[in-house]
Amino acid sequence: MAGYLLRRTVQILLTLFVFLTIVFFLVSAQPGDITRLYSMDPSLPPETRANLQELFGVNEPLWKQYLVHLKNTLTGNFGVSFSLYPRTVGDVILERLPRTLVLFATATVISFYLGFALGKIIAWRRGGWVEYTSTLGGVSLYTVFTPWFGLMMIWLFAFKAGWLPIGKFLDPVVWRDAPTDSNTIFNLMLATVAGVTVVVFAVAVATKKKRLAAAPLLQAGAITVATAAVVGVWLASGVGHLAFDLVKHMILPVATLTLISFAGTMLLTRNSMLEVIREDHVMVARAKGLPEKVVRDKHVARNALLPVVTSFVFSLAFAIDGGVIIESVFSWPGMGQTLVSATVSEDLPLAVGAFVFVGIFVLVAHLAADVLYAYLDPRVRYR
Amino acid sequence: MDTNAKPTAAKRTIGVATPDPVLAVEDLTMYYATRAGDVRAVDGVSFAVQRGESVGLVGESGCGKSSIAMALLKLLPENARLIRGKILLNGADLAPLSDDEMREHRWNHIAMVFQAAMNALNPVYRVGDQIIEALDAHIRSTPEISMERVRELFDLVSLDPGFIPRYPHEYSGGMKQRAGIAMALACEPDLLIADEPTTALDVIVQDRILKELRKVQEALYMSLIYISHDMAVIAEVSHTVGVMYAGRIVEWGETVDVFHRPIHPYTQTLMSAFPSVTGPKHELGMLSGEPPNLLTPPPGCRFHPRCPYATDVCRSEEPPIVRSGSHWAACWHPLDGAAA
Ligand SMILES: Nc1ncnc2c1ncn2[C@@H]1O[C@H](COP(=O)(O)OP(=O)(O)O)[C@@H](O)[C@H]1O
Ligand code: SF4
Ligand SMILES: [Mg+2]
Repeated sequence: MAGYLLRRTVQILLTLFVFLTIVFFLVSAQPGDITRLYSMDPSLPPETRANLQELFGVNEPLWKQYLVHLKNTLTGNFGVSFSLYPRTVGDVILERLPRTLVLFATATVISFYLGFALGKIIAWRRGGWVEYTSTLGGVSLYTVFTPWFGLMMIWLFAFKAGWLPIGKFLDPVVWRDAPTDSNTIFNLMLATVAGVTVVVFAVAVATKKKRLAAAPLLQAGAITVATAAVVGVWLASGVGHLAFDLVKHMILPVATLTLISFAGTMLLTRNSMLEVIREDHVMVARAKGLPEKVVRDKHVARNALLPVVTSFVFSLAFAIDGGVIIESVFSWPGMGQTLVSATVSEDLPLAVGAFVFVGIFVLVAHLAADVLYAYLDPRVRYR
Repeated sequence: MDTNAKPTAAKRTIGVATPDPVLAVEDLTMYYATRAGDVRAVDGVSFAVQRGESVGLVGESGCGKSSIAMALLKLLPENARLIRGKILLNGADLAPLSDDEMREHRWNHIAMVFQAAMNALNPVYRVGDQIIEALDAHIRSTPEISMERVRELFDLVSLDPGFIPRYPHEYSGGMKQRAGIAMALACEPDLLIADEPTTALDVIVQDRILKELRKVQEALYMSLIYISHDMAVIAEVSHTVGVMYAGRIVEWGETVDVFHRPIHPYTQTLMSAFPSVTGPKHELGMLSGEPPNLLTPPPGCRFHPRCPYATDVCRSEEPPIVRSGSHWAACWHPLDGAAA
């Protein structure tokens, strides 16, 4: 296990290095340089132009710039944003990365869970209406033009029905007299969710270890108590309505991202299930007189999960594309939108910073998935 | 001679009531539906297994041995159909039971050891847990008692108890098969079916596993149906043997009798194909020709295209049952002067 993870970590660090290199040379390959924006100004005296070039270091040889780029990236120093001057790139990213993480993590978890559950069912009861509707619906959503679908969701649920806000991160009216800024609230919410997850997970692991008969009851209880406590605390805190406003703004983008991506997991799960069903140990599980549901969930689905997790890792990179589009469509001020607007406004430091962070995010997600895989497959875990 | 040999053994024949049958199969018929038509894998098979008796089923690959085993547990693939017949387990018929009703009999009353080449163990769970799972499905107990039982079972099949919490990939082939036997014994079934349990193992391991299986079968006074294509193996473990050909049992009787004085030409052919049973090597040439196509089995005696004694009547009429000593066969021209 340790060896496996060490190997994967080294691989990922190498990948990161290659990625940073590519980003740098892609940027350098652009025509002109960063000072062009300013030095095109005819009123600028030549000395100032030279000064600017000196300042930005564009006169240095390429390899020196590259080393500086590497050093800056590794020390987390991405410089100052042009478009959001005088904020530093690091500051902007720190503000926006959590928003993207939440959007992604939520949609990913839901779509994976939904896809896996549906895939399980349609593999087991083949030919039913559940199979037809979910396959047809899933594949349509999977292949639909994402911006169009996002706009349709807005049109339907925000514009026509008026249930949800049209886009953006928050409603300024609600936040006018807010005692704190949205990021504080948002990060607090994040911390809360993380806390609840840890508690629920701990209870699940503890009850499973002890093989308690009341395990499902205890787990349900833990979830209920934790949720109730959280809701109670937030309501009492006086900023509950602010948190609720953020949640309201999250629903539509999360739902859209979930809908366009669950079908991949679903179809993969289905195929993987149909493979595993043919395996010998499944017949043995049946011969042991286990109930159908146990055979399906504990024996078939548990093994079918492994290849699904593997290809899920590979699909993560593609999910980033969808994420950028969704953030733009819903004006969600996360990394995707930052990336797009920085590029459009030629805010090079911010664009590079955003790029690098999206890359790191994907790589970390890969590593997390590797850990998960190792946890799920004892053949990897004990090697 | 086996301690299991009961004086009544000689009377065991089709449909004849026997003193204490754990299992009585009557006219069992199971077809697989395929695009080309029905594959008649099990066609009118009848036999009985006594308590504590060890029965061997032998026959060429593809003659329907595994199909019988799976039909007894009613673990049939989607395209399989039980056409008719009774599966009397301790007197109660399993044939009409639903899948849900079957569950309480599976493993609890009839358990199975699968081929060693099969991945009978789920790779993601600890072996001990997989045995406990089988126990929990049928017997109410505490985790401590279950664990104690697993330790007992590991001891019974000579496995190191240190391997209880290990995963299948940490086991060798022979160990996996021992674990498979331990798992099959978990609920002390009335009947254990072992379908080619040693076929994929090397000879030395095969021999040890066989001895182990025989030892526990005798110690637990459990009934055993041992399936193999290998006559030598059957001779070693079984008191009674059934010879299968093309979805049917063609000869049945006490192993010593059947092997020393076969009355069905097919049995004789099989014997010569496995010379180690009877001694000096015979010509293997007799087992030539294609095994029959179960889609359109030959009319009359199914063995007639390959039988050196075949006559016209063999080609058109179902052969009658003939008896000789402890055994019977289905043949028009039995060897050794058996009579109908
Ligand atoms: N699911 C199935 N569908 C169609 N034919 C099958 C199926 N399973 C087995 N058979 C056929 O049934 C016959 C008997 O097979 P089997 O019981 O496995 O024989 P054995 O165990 O004696 O080798 C073979 O001809 C085999 O091809
Ligand atoms: S019935 Fe005829 S063909 Fe069949 S085994 Fe006997 S002699 Fe051979
Ligand atoms: Mg077989």
